[in-house]
Amino acid sequence: MSDTEVIADGADSATEDGENALLVHEGDIAADYLERLLDIVDYDGDIDLDVENDRAIVAIVGTDLQPLIGQRGETLDALQELTRLAVQQKTGARSRLMLDVSGHRQARRAELAALATDTASQVLESGQAARLTPMNPFERKVVHDAIAAIDGVHSESEGEEPTRRVVVLIDN
Amino acid sequence: MLEEALEHLVRGIVDHPDDVRVDMVDNRRGQRLEVRVHPEDLGRVIGRNGRTAKALRQVINGVGGKGIRVDVVDVDRR
Repeated sequence: MSDTEVIADGADSATEDGENALLVHEGDIAADYLERLLDIVDYDGDIDLDVENDRAIVAIVGTDLQPLIGQRGETLDALQELTRLAVQQKTGARSRLMLDVSGHRQARRAELAALATDTASQVLESGQAARLTPMNPFERKVVHDAIAAIDGVHSESEGEEPTRRVVVLIDN
Repeated sequence: MLEEALEHLVRGIVDHPDDVRVDMVDNRRGQRLEVRVHPEDLGRVIGRNGRTAKALRQVINGVGGKGIRVDVVDVDRR
């Protein structure tokens, strides 16, 4: 057997409403699905469950889990997609759960937020729009959110997947 | 191991988990995993524009099946 264990910390609120209960349930289904996978491929990992911004957050934490992340997080995105489908199969409703492995998304998010801040200062200084490298939808959203919080600039996406990218522009 | 992993991943997303079968096929063109499901589940395993099949392939390649093809076999078409 594996050393996988499930630590649920989203389910202990007594005032939890139906919506929240559903999200906690989503996390439980996802944890079962992922735990069994870790078992089969013999990876050690703990599964942390949480609910954040009306979304179930499922995090696999462990060492040597890079294979589950893959290049540019492609394997992580694929596994998230399958996990959402597994949840939908059981609940009958579409899931927006977010899967993270060893803090990959969190680290990437911090990196992207810093990139957004740097790019915004550049744009404010030069008055010229800046085009960022192509990113996946998750990454673009992080950049858009960061830019939206900065006065004097705004952002748009341009191009088609997989080379869709964020452009940062100066406000008129 | 890879067969079992793929079988588990597919079973979790279909209506008829007991009808899921995965076989490793080894020939001179390399290795591939063949997935067979209940005909009603075919669309689900392939997904829109092959999105789900691609996700299955990506995960299997990630956990050690590098270069191994994953094919969803249409059982009606023998």
